[in-house]
Amino acid sequence: MSITLTLRILRSRRDVMPHYETFEVSVSDAANVLDAIEQVWAHRDRKLMFRHACHHASCGTCAVRINGREKLPCIVPVADYSGKPLTIEPLRNFDIVGDLVVDMAKFFQNQQASDFVITRPTENELVGKPIAYTGGMDPESASTIPFNRFENCVECGICLSACPTMAGDHKFFGPAGLAAIKRQLDKTTDPVERKRLLELADGEHGVWRCHSAWECTEACPQQVFPAESIMALRKEITKKHFRELFGK
Amino acid sequence: MNLYRPDLKRFRFLRWFDFRSWRLGMIAYILNRVTAIGLVLYLYIHLAVLTMLAQGPSSWDPFIRIARAPWFLALDVLLLAGMLIHGLNGLRIALTGFGIGVRGQKPLFVALMIVAAVALIAGALKIFAG
Repeated sequence: MSITLTLRILRSRRDVMPHYETFEVSVSDAANVLDAIEQVWAHRDRKLMFRHACHHASCGTCAVRINGREKLPCIVPVADYSGKPLTIEPLRNFDIVGDLVVDMAKFFQNQQASDFVITRPTENELVGKPIAYTGGMDPESASTIPFNRFENCVECGICLSACPTMAGDHKFFGPAGLAAIKRQLDKTTDPVERKRLLELADGEHGVWRCHSAWECTEACPQQVFPAESIMALRKEITKKHFRELFGK
Repeated sequence: MNLYRPDLKRFRFLRWFDFRSWRLGMIAYILNRVTAIGLVLYLYIHLAVLTMLAQGPSSWDPFIRIARAPWFLALDVLLLAGMLIHGLNGLRIALTGFGIGVRGQKPLFVALMIVAAVALIAGALKIFAG
């Protein structure tokens, strides 16, 4: 069954002041919000700028605000809003490129600063055997192929949009960047690299800028728990400073 | 107000007040800032009031009469509310900052605010009972 949905979308361009435009589209009642946005682009306004790729919360590119809350519209059913009008806005705390597209450059630079890589070797099975990819292959040969999985973070930028500190300090390293540092810290035992990572997190715009609103963890669609990572980093840094204080 | 206007970029903190996105953590965050501003203002008012002591009974006694008025006692209750909320919420932030109660920060906030409410009621009764 199809339903008619009203979308109020924030439109802007470099030379156009941000303003809201309202569109009515018809979508399946099983559709997700991204399908409705695509309907606007396909049937109402081909100039609408928005970003998407995977349609299943793996790529993180489509992140927007739906009725004031940061979401991945590709996995949010329109049914959740019971036919009520949806206000779609770009993420906060980023420069807007146009309409729903924001400039993610600074975000990716911060992710890169810790050498964070979005794939990781898989954990072992409970019996200690490495998990192997077997889909459609001979299990004997497939078992020799190492299976990599993605990190939980899909680099959608939702946590930065939800973070109130980010609104006050645009140089703040941000929840995702700090969570990436924590992940890298967990992976290495190299004292030089650990020192570099902790110093990165301990900078002027690092973990101490966080004011513990926990909005990043609440908004994160992928259970990255950035706020918890920030608290863990604080603990590590405090321990490091105490050791230095007592000459250890 | 359209907070996405480029000319308001320097005032992005105004987005704190977009109540559509408020969750428990954001409410705690705003409460902490509002009470902090209130307590700092109180500190300066308190210092200004104390200067009356140096001016002797002619200045101090009329103030004491004002301080016993019900509307002034209500301000005392407001001050107590600010102290309790800010202090207990600050305790939660300090604990989680040291890695204590990190996963339970929301129940911790609710529990501490219940403590604040109980202490506030007890304090208000005491203040108005004289």
